[in-house]
Amino acid sequence: MLSALALPAGSRAADPAKTLRVTFQVAETGFDPTRTSDYYSGMVIEAIYDRLLTYDYLARPSKLVPLAAESLPQITDNGKTYTFRIKKGIYFTPDPAFKGKKRELTAEDYAYSIKRFFDPRNRSPYAFLFEGKIVGLDDLGARARKTGRFDYEAKVAGLEVPDRYTLRIHLKEIDYGLSHILAFDLSGAVAREVIEFYGEDTNAHPVGSGPYRLKQYTRSSKIVLEANPGYRGKIWDFQPGDDALDKEIAAQMEGKRLPAIGNVEISIMEETQSRWLAFEKGETDLEYQLWDVAPTFMTADGKLRPAFLKRGIKLNRTVDPEITYTYFNMQEKIGDQPNPVGGYSLERIALRRAIAMAYKTGDRIRVLRKGQAVRAEHPIPPGVAGYDPNYVNSIPYDPRTANALLDRFGYKKGADGYRRMPDGKPLVIRFSSTERDRPYDELMQRSLDSIAIRMEIHKDRFPELLKLERRCRIMMRNAAWIADYADGDNFMQLLYGPNTQQSNNACYQSPEFDKLYEKSRTLPDGPERNKLYWAMARRMEADTAWIMNDSRVRNMLMQPRVIGYKRHPALHQEWMYLDLDSSAGK
Amino acid sequence: MTQAAALAIGVQRAESPGLWTLAWRRFCRDRVGLVSFLIVVFFFGLMAASGVHLIAADWSKEVGVNYAPPTFIGPEVADGGPSAPGSHGGERTGEANPFDPLAGVLAEIRAASGAASVAEAQAPTLVFGGDRWGRDVLQKTIKGTETSMFVGLVAAVLAAFLATVFGALAGYYGGWIDDFFNWFYSVFTSIPYLLLILAIAAVLNQKGTLTVILILGLTGWTGIFRLVRAEYLKHKVREYIQAADAIGASHPRRMFVHILPNVSHVILVQLSLHVVLFIKSEVVLSFLGFGVGVDTVSWGSMLNEAQSELILGYWWQLAAATLAMALLVTGFSLFTDALRDALDPKLK
Repeated sequence: MLSALALPAGSRAADPAKTLRVTFQVAETGFDPTRTSDYYSGMVIEAIYDRLLTYDYLARPSKLVPLAAESLPQITDNGKTYTFRIKKGIYFTPDPAFKGKKRELTAEDYAYSIKRFFDPRNRSPYAFLFEGKIVGLDDLGARARKTGRFDYEAKVAGLEVPDRYTLRIHLKEIDYGLSHILAFDLSGAVAREVIEFYGEDTNAHPVGSGPYRLKQYTRSSKIVLEANPGYRGKIWDFQPGDDALDKEIAAQMEGKRLPAIGNVEISIMEETQSRWLAFEKGETDLEYQLWDVAPTFMTADGKLRPAFLKRGIKLNRTVDPEITYTYFNMQEKIGDQPNPVGGYSLERIALRRAIAMAYKTGDRIRVLRKGQAVRAEHPIPPGVAGYDPNYVNSIPYDPRTANALLDRFGYKKGADGYRRMPDGKPLVIRFSSTERDRPYDELMQRSLDSIAIRMEIHKDRFPELLKLERRCRIMMRNAAWIADYADGDNFMQLLYGPNTQQSNNACYQSPEFDKLYEKSRTLPDGPERNKLYWAMARRMEADTAWIMNDSRVRNMLMQPRVIGYKRHPALHQEWMYLDLDSSAGK
Repeated sequence: MTQAAALAIGVQRAESPGLWTLAWRRFCRDRVGLVSFLIVVFFFGLMAASGVHLIAADWSKEVGVNYAPPTFIGPEVADGGPSAPGSHGGERTGEANPFDPLAGVLAEIRAASGAASVAEAQAPTLVFGGDRWGRDVLQKTIKGTETSMFVGLVAAVLAAFLATVFGALAGYYGGWIDDFFNWFYSVFTSIPYLLLILAIAAVLNQKGTLTVILILGLTGWTGIFRLVRAEYLKHKVREYIQAADAIGASHPRRMFVHILPNVSHVILVQLSLHVVLFIKSEVVLSFLGFGVGVDTVSWGSMLNEAQSELILGYWWQLAAATLAMALLVTGFSLFTDALRDALDPKLK
């Protein structure tokens, strides 16, 4: 508070009396950018740390703009060298780790933060962001895995810091995704002193230079952020587009100093019903995690029901840049057990194809999603560069043909009415899910019943499933991926062979796909790259590594006092661009 | 015993009515007990009929529309809730894929099979409504009754069996065997019941009816054990056991042939009490997601589904499961009360 008073007049800081109240449906894992991978932690991380780049709040399709950098990078050497100039006078929030000194954000912090992804002690689930890209960094990581100690002092040819405010990144090959990666939450800069000061407990002690800082933290229950009093601030000056919402927001927000809201209070509420009741009673300001109860507040044409309209509650509907899919483990064996759905022989492809053709995606959307999702056709969802609105998946819903296909390949029914493997061995699909997924288990069961395939359910906690998944030990599971950054590469890498044991949860290995993918990385967004993406999606369908499911609709409900909201397809949250206007809707 | 003997002297006929005949006579005089007995018999009939697939064999068939309302309400007015913006309805059509190794085979199959199959007609309403997939809630409730009762009964039998064996050994032998079982008992009872159940469920980490039975049976024997042990302590010093000793009956024979019939009424009453307890526990377990598997339905799994349905106004599954459970649990409890009254001659 003291430092807030010390701010020069005219630059009014965020109003400490304003508190934005939101919920997470899943507990966070922590706020160290290299040690987390979940969406919800990412939302907090985005508010606390400064990335080099970010996105313009209103521009669509999303447009990169500088954040801690002075400008967009200078790209030289035929797209292999990126040079960033970092703004002077950005300071980390005070922390005991700095021993009372003011600590400025420098280029060295970014180099350090990128290196941390390769430190084996961090076991970063997101190392793939930088793997195989920066000259010399992979070798350093490999050396650290051997010796057990990562040498942060070692020179990395690809991460050059010629002076205090300049960062030069040299790439092995042309890569158009890098700017997007550097605009992503987890690319925020941490301070080395803080990381070393807190050791293994960095997840609970985030210290950044962004608009908010952590004020109060009760694990898996409550996270309170307060506006960073030393934040350099940002004046709301975005260019509204043509649509009415943009104009309305601009009229309300133009010229305000951001962040305008002094506190963000996040409660972890796992039950949909609790979240709904909390919002309904006005105890939360923003709420979108309400798919199960959508019909209670929305009519068939996607409008708010009159009772809520009368109260001034606002609804903003967008399709999330995400896909949900059911993957098959593509390896021949799981551990030392044979894997009935794995392998690339025609007979196995036929089995996977039949399951994909029998999967009731329509029921999933209509019954389980309550209509609050759109069918996913392509591995890249709407709102993400590389999305093709005209693409139609080549695998139709057709259980009759699926049955005929299985008959053709010798999956004969046994005495119990269930199919067996062509060699007469029993065929059982082991489907993994968490305790809360019973409706989805039922859907899978009904789908597999329609082609007479026996299923068994394997239940475990979500983190345990992820661990098994990283070791390719899961036969089939429903997965979801939401854009880290709004580029198709972020989705296509999920199928890239070398990303097995990281993000490639199907453990899919296709030389044809990999070749196309490697080529796509060297191309900018455009028709040429889209052609490659088309071929990659078709390759995946031909092998049937995934069953494409859906992309959920984000029905963001807002209390009347929330102003300035427009869903951004790449940012994980919009807190710093919002304001609370207590006169609205009264 | 003494009262039975006194009665025997009073009557003229040569054979005197035994403990069970007398109990039955006393039971018949209890109106409430009789009605509850009929309810319990009815549920047993339901369970048996469903178990041999006489009724509710097709419970998993999707006969109605999703969330079909009960017939007495009438079909739902067409406000099926919101749809997604820009969604193209219906199922995927599929487009040609030049890389598809199965393209030839699939084309052949499609050419041979001709027109697409016609979807089965689905009823707009069902007798007691439908669940999210349009399955008949009435049939589901019957199937759920079968599962829940079966679990309750078998788990209670298992628990009573364990308790009887442990109680008999502890009470009859005394000494270090008694100490051992008492220690075992203390360990089990020192942990709150539900917590213990959940802990074991987490350790077993396997789904299914058998797992639930094991969990309940292995944790639920403690109460019965205590009573059986006390009965054995009391009986082992009685004259008839001394007499049995004198004619050379072995320990197991004295325990299970001589004493057991004389304490069996205690076990029977406890058994019925535990059936009720276990039915409720199964419901709790399934509600919390630790219960029966995805291909089985129980009252607990129905209630679990109902929690998300209720807020959307689909109350019938909740009502059906609750009604069936309330009826059986109340009936069974009253029946147990009556049974205890009938079997305990000292009460009257």
